[in-house]
Order: sequence, then structure tokens, then C-alpha cells
Amino acid sequence: MLVQIAMGFLAALTFAYIFRVPPRQSVRCGFVGGLGWAVYLSGQGRFGEVGAVFLAATGVAVLSEVLARRHHEPVIVFLTPGIIPLVPGSKAYLTMLSFVQQDYTQGVVLLVTTVFLAGAIAAGIIITSSIFRNFSRTKHNRR
Amino acid sequence: MEELVGLILTAGELLLTCGAEMSRVEETIERMGSAAGFVQVESYATPTGLFVSLHDPAGRVYTRVKRIRGGQSNIAVIAEVNALSRAFSAGEISADQVRQALERLRQEGVPESLARQLIGGGGALAFAVMMGGTWLEGLVAGVVGTVVLMVVSRMERRFPRVIQAAVGAIVAAFLVATVGPYFQLNVNVTILGAVMVLAPGMVITTAIRDLLGGELVSGLSRSAEALVIAVAIATGVAVVLSLGGA
Repeated sequence: MLVQIAMGFLAALTFAYIFRVPPRQSVRCGFVGGLGWAVYLSGQGRFGEVGAVFLAATGVAVLSEVLARRHHEPVIVFLTPGIIPLVPGSKAYLTMLSFVQQDYTQGVVLLVTTVFLAGAIAAGIIITSSIFRNFSRTKHNRR
Repeated sequence: MEELVGLILTAGELLLTCGAEMSRVEETIERMGSAAGFVQVESYATPTGLFVSLHDPAGRVYTRVKRIRGGQSNIAVIAEVNALSRAFSAGEISADQVRQALERLRQEGVPESLARQLIGGGGALAFAVMMGGTWLEGLVAGVVGTVVLMVVSRMERRFPRVIQAAVGAIVAAFLVATVGPYFQLNVNVTILGAVMVLAPGMVITTAIRDLLGGELVSGLSRSAEALVIAVAIATGVAVVLSLGGA
């Protein structure tokens, strides 16, 4: 479990470099990613894959919004690398691989899973960011 | 006024080539436009083109179209332009300073460093282990991921992203399939980890944000981009695996 969380941290940290996040923020991106992966792993058994991804995406989005306000950076600095462990990039790839290898049944199953996971991430992000936007409008008239 | 129009257009162009969301581009242009003294600012941004119309107090209208080509994810530049536009609209820096800073950002572009590729390989390692691979499989995925990033960075700006992804996937699958049998690796997990460095993660995230923000044109076109890249990666891998008789 700890190793897995460390890997979530590592994935977000390294993708912060791949996406060229300002290097001074990359360790914080790692923590965001580690939190997301930890929430996902602990929620997976109880809420199922989609529910766990939704909770994890919400956690990632909340932490990103908080960090972005504290460090005066755009939210995407933390959100984009932080959400990476959750983004079903591997599922999307496996979907396409199944189709290309003519395993259509497996492909459709993976496709539906991918769409639902992407939807769960989208829901987590949008709910959080609209709450934050309405909540902090009075304080600073930005973002 | 003419110079200010160019300045605003450059800021928008930089944001778009670095993969910013449409709402951020349009907000930045509107913020800079009203700070520069235009009474009405209209902008329409898409991933491949930018349209700006600025009305000055004397009633003249400046309209510009900017074609956006290529580009690569660069959050640092997005953050930088964002900070510049805020400082400009708060009156903390002059238009000249903004111009110099934008020019510098544009010319520096993307310093392609070996460190980025080595660290990126760590991402492949992390994904291989997260998907249930062993440490050895993670290590191989990490090394292959670094090689893939090196190959892809040679192709940047010369080939479309789809070709980059396909070639990167072919390289990854070929290396793993060659090395795999010697170490008894699970070839599927190892390749999965290695090609994750090519996966359009930032495009997917931005596409979601655009779509949910009501930016239908760019949301759909970015979804299509992500889909095409995913197909290219899978095709590249499948071609190598089927030629290898797997």
C-alpha cells in the first residue's frame, strides 16, 4: 500500500516534469498525486472503481485549489499532474489495443469503463471548482 | 494602440500553443484588453486559431486573426503568461515590460533537457508498478520510457503529434519485446508503463475542463486529438507485437 502511494507520488512528480510545470512546484504536484492514488486505493473496495475515482478526483481537485490559492499559481499547475495517476490513459490504450487486435468484446467492456471513469473524474473536478469559484468570488475577483 | 493589439495577440498565442484551456485564453485577452484601455474586447479562441476584436475609445475597431500551429504542453509558460497579464492589469508593470517578457518566453520556448527525459522515465516506472508490475518490469519500463522520450523529442516540431505517438509506441514495443524473453517479463504491463509517457494525459484533462466549461468546439476537438493519439499508440504497439508473432 505504501509502495503504491509512493508510486502515485512518483507518477505525478515525473509527469509534472513531462508537462513542464515550474520546477519549484513539482514536489507539491507529487503530493497531490499521492493523495489521489491513496484515496482511490482505499475507496476501491467499498465504493467500486468509479466511486473511488470520483472521490479521489474530488480530493485532488480540492487540494489543487487550496495549493493554487496559497501559492498564487493557476489551478492547472497542480491539477494536471496530480490527476494523472487517476486518468484512465492506460484503460484508453488497452481499449484501443483490444480493438486493434480484434478482441471486440473486451474492447467494448474497456471502452465503457473508460468513459465512466473519465466521467467520474470530470464530475469530481467540476463540482469542486464551481464550489470554490462561488465561494471565493468575494475575496478575489479572479478565476 | 496598434502595438497593444499585437501584445495581446502574442499573449493569447503563447497560451494556446502551450495547451491552456480556452476560458483562460479568453479571460487573459479580455483582462489585458480592458487594462490597455479598450472599451470593448471580444475574443474567440480555438486550439488551432485565435480571433480578437478590440474597440478603442475613439470608435476604431482592431480585428486580428492568428493561426495557431503545433505546440506542446508547457504549464510553466501558461503560469508565467497568467502572472504577467495579472500584473499588467493591476498596473504593476508597463506594456513594454510585458512585451519583453513575452518575447523572452517565446524565444526560450522549451529548453529540452536530458533531465526531463530521465525523470519522465520515472513516470513509466511508476505506472508499470501501479498497474501491478514487478520492480524489474518497472525498471525496464522506466529505461524504455526514457528512450521513447528521447526519440520523441527529436521529432518534435517536425512531425505531427500522432506520428510522434505511433513511432514512440513502436520503439517501446520493439525494445520491450526484444528484452522481455531474457528476463521473463510480463510484456503487456511493461509496454503499458513505457507508453504512458506518450499518453495524452494533459489533452484529456484540458478537454474535460473545456467541455464542462461549455467550450464545445475546443472540448470536442481536443477529445478527438486524444482519441487519435490513443489509437496511434495502440496501433504502433499492436503492429510490433503481431509482427513478432506474439
